Amino acid sequence: MNVRVVIAEDAALFRAGLARLIEDQGHRVCAAVGDGGALLAAVAEHQPDVVVADIRMPPTHTDEGLRAALEIRRQHPRTGVLVLSQYIETRYTTRLLEGNAAGAGYLLKERVADVAEFADALERVAAGGTALDPEVVGQLLRASRRADGLAALTARERHVLALMAEGRSNAGIADALVVTGGTVEKHVASIFDKLGLPPDEGDNRRVLAVLRYLGS
Amino acid sequence: MGLLVTTPTADPSPGGQTRVRSPWAVARAAGVAPFTRRQGRELLFCLAGLPFAVVSPLVLFVLAVDLIWLAADGGRGNPSPAEMAIACVCLGLLLVLLVSTRAARRLGSLQRRLATRLLGIRVAAPPPVRRRPGGRAWPGPGPRDGAGWRVMAYQLAKLPIGMIELYAVFFWIGGLVNLSYPLWWGAFRNHPPGVRLSPVPVFTPFGLFGEGTFHVATLPGTFAAAAAGAAMLLAAPWVTRAVTSADAWLIRGLLGPGRLTQRVHDLELSRALAVDDSAALLRRLERNLHDGAQIRLATLAMNLGMAREKLGDGGEVPDAAAARELVDAALRGAKDALGELRGLVRGIHPPVLDNGLADAFASLAADRAIPVELEVSIPVRPTPAIETIAYFCAAELLANAAKHSFANKLAIRAAGQRDVLLLSVADNGTGGADPARGTGLSGLAQRVAVVDGRLTIASPPGGPTKITVELPLRA
Repeated sequence: MNVRVVIAEDAALFRAGLARLIEDQGHRVCAAVGDGGALLAAVAEHQPDVVVADIRMPPTHTDEGLRAALEIRRQHPRTGVLVLSQYIETRYTTRLLEGNAAGAGYLLKERVADVAEFADALERVAAGGTALDPEVVGQLLRASRRADGLAALTARERHVLALMAEGRSNAGIADALVVTGGTVEKHVASIFDKLGLPPDEGDNRRVLAVLRYLGS
Repeated sequence: MGLLVTTPTADPSPGGQTRVRSPWAVARAAGVAPFTRRQGRELLFCLAGLPFAVVSPLVLFVLAVDLIWLAADGGRGNPSPAEMAIACVCLGLLLVLLVSTRAARRLGSLQRRLATRLLGIRVAAPPPVRRRPGGRAWPGPGPRDGAGWRVMAYQLAKLPIGMIELYAVFFWIGGLVNLSYPLWWGAFRNHPPGVRLSPVPVFTPFGLFGEGTFHVATLPGTFAAAAAGAAMLLAAPWVTRAVTSADAWLIRGLLGPGRLTQRVHDLELSRALAVDDSAALLRRLERNLHDGAQIRLATLAMNLGMAREKLGDGGEVPDAAAARELVDAALRGAKDALGELRGLVRGIHPPVLDNGLADAFASLAADRAIPVELEVSIPVRPTPAIETIAYFCAAELLANAAKHSFANKLAIRAAGQRDVLLLSVADNGTGGADPARGTGLSGLAQRVAVVDGRLTIASPPGGPTKITVELPLRA
């Protein structure tokens, strides 16, 4: 799979490393820019499959990247947005996924150290899937006010729930847990039953359902 | 309060001379004194302040007694004790009324403005009345307004001091009149010899007419009068200065915010500064970590991740050269991150400070490209907070001096006296350090003020500059 990528990151060393990493995976980096404005311009010009954006960039050094990402999701629905950040911040995640989890991702920067995992997340988002950082999902699970509902789950089911929230497909979950697809399907059905969620739908709607459940 | 800039305007002599050295200079200062603009303004203040002296509780009391006495007894005999008591009550009510409405505060503000305009003293207005939530809607400050009562106290003191101010005015007028005696004597009293002229009285500081004055009846005598007038004119500026200074002291004490209120105000200000300062420090720290060490470590992890990829899963290494290059980059990144963290740690709390200020200053001095002379004697160790403030003051002052002064020699002196730490940083550069330009010095002064310290700047244009920081030993 050859993906066309635009990178926005203000730290030059990290940006160069990221570009190299992505190209090593056989993808194409159309542009690598250093702030939100340049990112929007580059997306309009190249119409990439996916954007990899830092949250905090000049000139405001606040949530420049996130705002640009939301703008891209509005204007170019076919471009996936993978936000890289140094914060574990569930507010940012919910803003990013508001109403639609398709083609969106939020990862901590250090995830790039696991090249295969990162490449997988990038491709998933480029293909219209979802990728959420395990730390963010963990935070959501810990902070969830639905503790009683979660208590009904077995340890295995909780693990499957977390992987689901990260945006993995059943096949991906099966790979991660080293079990068969059938086993995962059984777990997922049981989870949806116990939490009172609507029956299993597509991967992205599933992510939204789970997040909504955890956040409410 | 935190910042003090020494300038030549703070001089005590009425002549406006900066330094009085020789007797000749003293004489010149005394001779020039009456004609300076400042003298004119002080004289004007003495006159303009007079109407205010009439609004004295004492005058009001006498007025009240007289009115009641006139109304009750038609002004016959003496006022009875009962009438005096009624006058007292009336006066009390009147004072309460003046304080409760804004009248007293207005009276104070008027005189404060007059003093600012003519005496050049700046007195802050008392803080506005704090309304208690849910209190009744009363248009004035109410009868318990301390500022209003202090204005009344000032009015009480203004009567005697106003009289002395009038006396100072008399020095000027009497002096001028005396000085004019030879002129009009020559013009109008040019009688043939043998005619005896009635003597005219000469004003002296001791009286207008009668006792305390002397009389002249001849032309040569008028020169004695002129001499007395000249002497009075020479003395006049000093009398005026003395009485207006006393008045200024009263105005500061009674028409200002009051010492306790001022202190509370200062503390509120410095607390706000301290809170802002520490918030800004944390923010800067977060920014430095986020944009520095954290991103370096993320890059390092990424490089290692890529190198791991290039090394393959055991056995054959697919791309050894690329892997080596990536590991090298990661190593460089690790060293950079370490260096950056070291800098940050030092900025938070330099470890050498644990050994005391002497060592810390020595290490600061050693870091400078310009030679720094060091003289430290601190027998009693200050508290850690004071040591930290002193250290960062010295560091910033040294950095300032190196950056702006073009000096080739710097000096740090630190001396611990009984309960004060005196730190000074001097350079032989171009001078002209001004807290108004740039925020560095005023920021330092604010930080020093948080612990009731003081920063004094002596930096005439052309240099040298010496900045002294006074800190309490404990805080």
